[in-house]
Amino acid sequence: MAKNVLLVDDSSTMRKIVSRSLRQAGLDFGEIYEAGDGLEALAMLEKESIDIVLSDINMPNMNGIEFLREKANRPAIKDIPVFMISTETGDDIIGEAKSLGAIGALKKPFTPDKVNEVLGPIM
Amino acid sequence: MELEKSLIDATLEVFASMIFIEIEPETHSDREAVAIESNLFSLIGLAGDIKGVLAIQCPSNVAMGITGAMLGMEVTELGEDAKDAIGEIANMVAGGLKEALAVFGKKIELAIPTTIIGESIRTSGLSGATRVMVPFLSPLGRFGIELRFILS
Repeated sequence: MAKNVLLVDDSSTMRKIVSRSLRQAGLDFGEIYEAGDGLEALAMLEKESIDIVLSDINMPNMNGIEFLREKANRPAIKDIPVFMISTETGDDIIGEAKSLGAIGALKKPFTPDKVNEVLGPIM
Repeated sequence: MELEKSLIDATLEVFASMIFIEIEPETHSDREAVAIESNLFSLIGLAGDIKGVLAIQCPSNVAMGITGAMLGMEVTELGEDAKDAIGEIANMVAGGLKEALAVFGKKIELAIPTTIIGESIRTSGLSGATRVMVPFLSPLGRFGIELRFILS
C-alpha cells in the first residue's frame, strides 16, 4: 500500500525539492504532508494518518533531535519511522538521531538518483 | 586547511546536485577587494572551533534565477521564495564546510540562516576576522560566497 509521507523542514524550498525528488524517483507514496519544525510535525502526526517521516535536523522552535526525543515519549506515534535528511553528517549527531529511533540519514545536497537509492527500499 | 577550496567544493556540489546551473569560481588577483553589488544576502553564523559568518551575496536577477531553477518555476520577484531558497543554499554550503573541517579535527556548529533583502548590502564587523571571498560566474550573472572567521 502506498505510504503517506510527512516532510519536516523549515525551508519550504527544501520541502518542494524533496517532494519533487520522490515523484521523479518513481517511488510509490500516497499523500505528502508538510511541517516547518518539530512542533508542527508532532501535531501533524497526531492528526493525520502518516506512515513515514522525512525530517531535517537544524530547525527553529524544535529541531530534529528534540522532535525524535519528544515523539519517543508519545505512545500513539512513537513507532512511526523517521528518516533524517540534513546537512548534518557527523557521526555524533547522526548517531544520536539513530539512538532516538531514526532509521537512516540522507545528506543534503542530494540528487534525485540518490533519493531513489536511499529511500526506495523503505518506501 | 584550505578553507577557500572547501568553500568552492561545497558550493559546486550544491549547484551540481540540486540547482543544475553550471557555475565556476572566478579567478581574481585581489579577492580581498572584490565586492558584488547585492540585493540579497543570506547569512549563517558559525560557532565552535571557527567563529564567524558565511554569506551568499546575490544581485536580484541572480537570486531570482537560482530560486527559479531550484523550484522548477519562473520567479519574478525578490520575495519569500528567494529568501528561503538562497538561505537553504547557505545552509548546505555551510554544511559542506562543516564536513570538510571535521576531517581536520575542527568542529563547528551552524545557526539557522538569516536572509536580508535590500540595496547594496555589505557585511562588516567581526574585528580581526579573516575574510575569504569567492566570486562565482554563472549564466545568470555573478554572485559571491564570503566567509569571515576567527580561529578559536
